[in-house]
Amino acid sequence: MNLAPNLGTAEPGTPATTSLVSAVNLAKQFHGRKVLDGVDFDVAAGEVSVIIGKSGSGKSTLLRVIAGLEDPEEGDVTIDGVLVRSGGARTADWNHGAAKVGMVFQSYNLWPHMNVLDNLILAPRKILGLSAGEAEARAEKALAEVGMAEHIRSRSTQLSGGERQRVAIARALMMRPQVLLCDEITSALDPPVAAEVLGVLARLKQEEGLAVVLVTHDMAFASKAADRVIFFSNGRIAVDATPDEAFHHCENAELKAFVDAVRID
Amino acid sequence: MSEQDFDWGAVANAWPHLLSGLGVTLQIAAITIVLSMILAVPVAVARMSAIEIVRWVAQLYIEIFRCTPMLVQLFWIYYALPALTGITIPGFASAVIALTANLTAFMAEAYRSGFQAVPVEQIEAGKMLRLSRFQQLRHIIVPQALRQQIPVILSLNISMFKDTALVSTIAVHDLMFQANTAATETYRSLEFFTTAAAVYFCIAFPVSLLTSYFERRGQLARTGRAPIIKPRKPELTGVKP
Ligand SMILES: Nc1ncnc2c1ncn2[C@@H]1O[C@H](COP(=O)(O)OP(=O)(O)O)[C@@H](O)[C@H]1O
Ligand SMILES: [Mg+2]
Repeated sequence: MNLAPNLGTAEPGTPATTSLVSAVNLAKQFHGRKVLDGVDFDVAAGEVSVIIGKSGSGKSTLLRVIAGLEDPEEGDVTIDGVLVRSGGARTADWNHGAAKVGMVFQSYNLWPHMNVLDNLILAPRKILGLSAGEAEARAEKALAEVGMAEHIRSRSTQLSGGERQRVAIARALMMRPQVLLCDEITSALDPPVAAEVLGVLARLKQEEGLAVVLVTHDMAFASKAADRVIFFSNGRIAVDATPDEAFHHCENAELKAFVDAVRID
Repeated sequence: MSEQDFDWGAVANAWPHLLSGLGVTLQIAAITIVLSMILAVPVAVARMSAIEIVRWVAQLYIEIFRCTPMLVQLFWIYYALPALTGITIPGFASAVIALTANLTAFMAEAYRSGFQAVPVEQIEAGKMLRLSRFQQLRHIIVPQALRQQIPVILSLNISMFKDTALVSTIAVHDLMFQANTAATETYRSLEFFTTAAAVYFCIAFPVSLLTSYFERRGQLARTGRAPIIKPRKPELTGVKP
């Protein structure tokens, strides 16, 4: 794993050639305010990156730009070696990149009028052209991976928050992404349930080699399971380091203050 | 006049005509409802379009049909449109066109508020799974909007069903036309119009009951309870004044 520590700076350049996702100089404004201010960000295959930072610092916007839910004004994005965004705009190869990226949200966003199975198989059937049998077999496997196999026929509205989030992860896995973007996916869950959901992500990384980018306030998970910790501040990456370096040896005062504040909570 | 007896025999004699009229009424209503429920989808989508001119045209269409009388719309299509285009449209077709155009406008507004009630995050989840705009509509937005708007859709359909009586004025042989004809021929207005009212009522009333049922169910769902539960008896809720 390529983890050259880059303490306290956000210097552009040196994106690893093995990067699964590589974003260069992303810039995004809302109402004239720079929410992403020249962000360079890359994700290696099979790596777990945890993004931390104050609310409003631009973490969600970074994920949403990579996911294609927002368009930036500036920036290039390469996914799996293919340039999918150039000078802010999508290239003709956009779909190539989109196929590798999955996303899970804080509010689960299951479709409440469908049962769990139908939530999972809709896109694989319509987009990947899987038969009903193939899609269902894949759904059984995905649900088993997140520990929800027995809920395949449940209505999503009958599930608890933690169960819904695990189904949402399974739904994203159905499209076989190589990187899963997770935006505060445990913020609405009780700590033990949150730990369970994050445990699913750690196992997916171990067993499936799935790369995970996780925005979270869960410092315990960050120091235990992350390969990298990225501290976001005012639309920039202020620190990009291993958990040990970020939490114990970092001189960035802002990060120190942030970590202390979160620990006290 | 007022002391004459009811003569239900006249109604019995004319019953085959009334039944055939009811058949025409139901046909017009059924075709209109099916067409409007489909056509309202693109109109509602256009009404919410990001392109200003598309949004504007859809809104103009909706407002024209909402703000002019149904009877005028019917006459306009039956009498005025042929004058404009030189093509005569038969009564039945004119009726279906006018009623459909009218109901589609109202239905589109119901759909629109249903569409807007679907959380944008659910649509983003669909985008992340690479569903196309059409697939998002077809599988995520429309089914939920329909469910949410069932009471509104049902009451629009009831109104339209009653409004079909207007088509008797353009010589369509619907229930109202047959009742009116028989009443004129037999001088039995009271019997025939009472019968006609009863027939319309027998069809509309069950739908109206269904509307109230869905409204109650919707209220329960909105107050955070599982959608399919019976309303609790107030005395059992434990709320004390
Ligand atoms: N769609 C939007 N429209 C306007 N402002 C937005 C939008 N999305 C985010 N913002 C603003 O951008 C800033 C960064 O938001 P966000 O990326 O959600 O931060 P974070 O996830 O770190 O809390 C916030 O000030 C937020 O209000
Ligand atoms: Mg956020």
